[in-house]
Amino acid sequence: MFEGLKNKLRDVRSRFGASIEETLEESPVSPSPATPVADLTAQEPAPESTKDEIHPHEGVLEAASEKKPKSGFFTKVKTLVIEREFILTEKDLEDPLFELEMILLESDVALPVTDAIIAHMRTSLVGNHRKIRESPDEIVTLALKNALREVLGEGLDLPGFIRSHEKPVKILFTGVNGTGKTTSIAKVSDFLKKKGFSIVIGAGDTYRAGAIEQIRVHADRLGIRLIHHQEGADPSAVLFDAVEYARAHKVDVVLADTAGRFHNRANLMSQLEKIRRIFKPDLIFYVDEATAGNDAVVRAAEFEKTIGADGVMLTKVDMDKKGGSAISIAYTIGKPLVFLGVGQEYEDIVLFTPDLIINEILGEDA
Amino acid sequence: MLDSLSNSLKDAVKKLAGKAVVDRAAVDELVRDLQRALIQADVNVKLVMGLSQSIKKRALEEELPKGMGVRDHVLRIVYQELVSLMGPEAEVSLKPQTILMAGLQGSGKTTTTAKLCRYFQRKGLKVGAICCDNFRPGAFTQLQTLCQRINVPIYGDPKEKDALRIVKNGLTALRDVEVIIVDTAGRHALEDDLIEEIMQINAIVKPSHRWLVIDAALGQAARDQARRFHEAIGIDGVVITKMDGTAKGGGALSAVAETNSSIVFIGSGETIDDLERFEPNGFISRMLGMGDLKALVERAEDVMEGGDLDVNAMLKGKFTLKDMYKQLEALNKMGPLKQVLSMLPLGGMNVPNEVYDVTSVKMERYRIMMDSMTDDEMDDPSLLGTSRIHRIAMGSGSSVDDVRELIKYYKMMQRALKGFKGGGRFSMNRMMKQFGGGDKLV
Repeated sequence: MFEGLKNKLRDVRSRFGASIEETLEESPVSPSPATPVADLTAQEPAPESTKDEIHPHEGVLEAASEKKPKSGFFTKVKTLVIEREFILTEKDLEDPLFELEMILLESDVALPVTDAIIAHMRTSLVGNHRKIRESPDEIVTLALKNALREVLGEGLDLPGFIRSHEKPVKILFTGVNGTGKTTSIAKVSDFLKKKGFSIVIGAGDTYRAGAIEQIRVHADRLGIRLIHHQEGADPSAVLFDAVEYARAHKVDVVLADTAGRFHNRANLMSQLEKIRRIFKPDLIFYVDEATAGNDAVVRAAEFEKTIGADGVMLTKVDMDKKGGSAISIAYTIGKPLVFLGVGQEYEDIVLFTPDLIINEILGEDA
Repeated sequence: MLDSLSNSLKDAVKKLAGKAVVDRAAVDELVRDLQRALIQADVNVKLVMGLSQSIKKRALEEELPKGMGVRDHVLRIVYQELVSLMGPEAEVSLKPQTILMAGLQGSGKTTTTAKLCRYFQRKGLKVGAICCDNFRPGAFTQLQTLCQRINVPIYGDPKEKDALRIVKNGLTALRDVEVIIVDTAGRHALEDDLIEEIMQINAIVKPSHRWLVIDAALGQAARDQARRFHEAIGIDGVVITKMDGTAKGGGALSAVAETNSSIVFIGSGETIDDLERFEPNGFISRMLGMGDLKALVERAEDVMEGGDLDVNAMLKGKFTLKDMYKQLEALNKMGPLKQVLSMLPLGGMNVPNEVYDVTSVKMERYRIMMDSMTDDEMDDPSLLGTSRIHRIAMGSGSSVDDVRELIKYYKMMQRALKGFKGGGRFSMNRMMKQFGGGDKLV
């Protein structure tokens, strides 16, 4: 997973490195000697260009494919004596940063999130000339790593959480239609069962045709008790019964399915609120798909606002190797990713840890 | 966030207004905002870059047509380029045919299959469905439940492991129906065995159409996924689902561009009637944050089976309380208010979410108040003076303020509709009102 992002980031990182080294190489050519005064004035161009927050997007295709013309850069260095030497100015970063922006966008990182990451990269890179001199590659990697770590969060140790809390631990699954809530519940059940927990599932999707049948088949296959009413029943009542069952039978975990709903439907969202009130979940998992684009941000924010979320489960990661929506969602609601769904089988589920992903994307060898 | 985006697009358009020559800086700004809008709508990044290049080139190089303002000129180019991206308008023939549904897991194939059954059934055709999704538990039950509600025969066998055999048997079982819709299991481009399976299904069914179902929220992946499906079975139409959420459906646009097909239908709600024919006008408007009247008209005609609401009279600006009464009644039939409002010419306005929650209750109250009015008052609301308002309030058990509010609402609707009169299929004038002046309606 995350292969696409990984490969592309590798490219851009070498470009960053190249751009920085270019600056280093060419600086001695500049006619005027370095003085402490020049150092001060050299800071000036940076704030000047920060007001140009949005890059000139047009002409991107050329900009992205063509290498920076060396001679142009050369003359620029010569004429703008003030801007010369080691300091990495906004201008030097413009091309690589723009390229990074495109890569993030193409990897389905939502526009506002991309903007934030680019801004983070810019502030942490511009002006740091001494460190750059030591090792350009390292500082770029570090900046990217920090940006991603900041966004991805720390993960959540679910088995640990369950052990340290009063039983039954109640987990509610929410999300929009078709993201894979029901399948995810089956996978999480399987995962927890293998860790030695006892589980009961509440069939809270009483709306979609065939939903109860779907979860029933999963529960049968996994040998897990399912509490369900018939189609059209009140989901809160079903889940209440599931909790009662868990109490009576000393079950460790209650997993509650809910019907998919769009965040812009007030009545469905208030139904979910009622479910939360009655079910009193210890954890709310927001389920969304890796393939979602910019809307991932909109709906994650809306779910977080109305119902809240304690963790994110990202599904269909096998479908989209780029994994950008993981970054979007985590950034938007600031809650840890807990699981990744990576296939159609029950065991196709991965417990998320930030280092795993960051190292996978950036590669520890670098 | 999205609103601020479409506002900045509006501002960029405003800057073009009143200019005699095309201003490079203004065009640059417009193109940049357009890029951001399209990327945020999930259109493929490469596609957006290519598109904006050609828009910019044309805007700067093409000669300004006589009598056309810069703003109209540029917007016309934007519109034309976007439309050309969408390919030709798809024909849906009402002849006997077989349609194969393909798509990713959870994109809404089964729901769409049932909606399509309903669509063709309403057009007077004998319809049947085959469910060859024997992988996902409950898939057969789901389609069966949906089809039973509308009395459409369905063939499927959840116990049969071989999808190909289900299809063969299904085709035999349903040989009497005119339109057969084949629902398949969800699969994605990287599952080679499943892609192989759908190729075999395609070979057996020899469908008249192979439609790709795309979730409106699908992002950049749309392009690669569509390519793989296209290579495998030759996609000739795209159905966008879940357009009732906040997603803009740009992924579908990437898919269409990749497969050289066109968008056929749009799924926009959870009930079986929530399927619209695709209309490039409306889609673009929605993507860029403008109202779309045409889809509303079509939908109104379809749902109300004629006669209830004289949309044309409304468009001519002759809009009385009687029309509004009918409109409120019609709204009930037409489904979620937000969806209808997004198609109304109020599209450019920022309606706070609370409005939608209150409104359905309020609509009912409005209707009761109007029941207390005389025919004359309904025809000519200007008659309503203080004493008449008092009478109406007493008669309907509401307060004077409530009645005044109703009148205010009526006036707002009237003004909105007036703004829309004139202009044919695609009026620049109309588009501009949405772009530029929509906000003052609030």
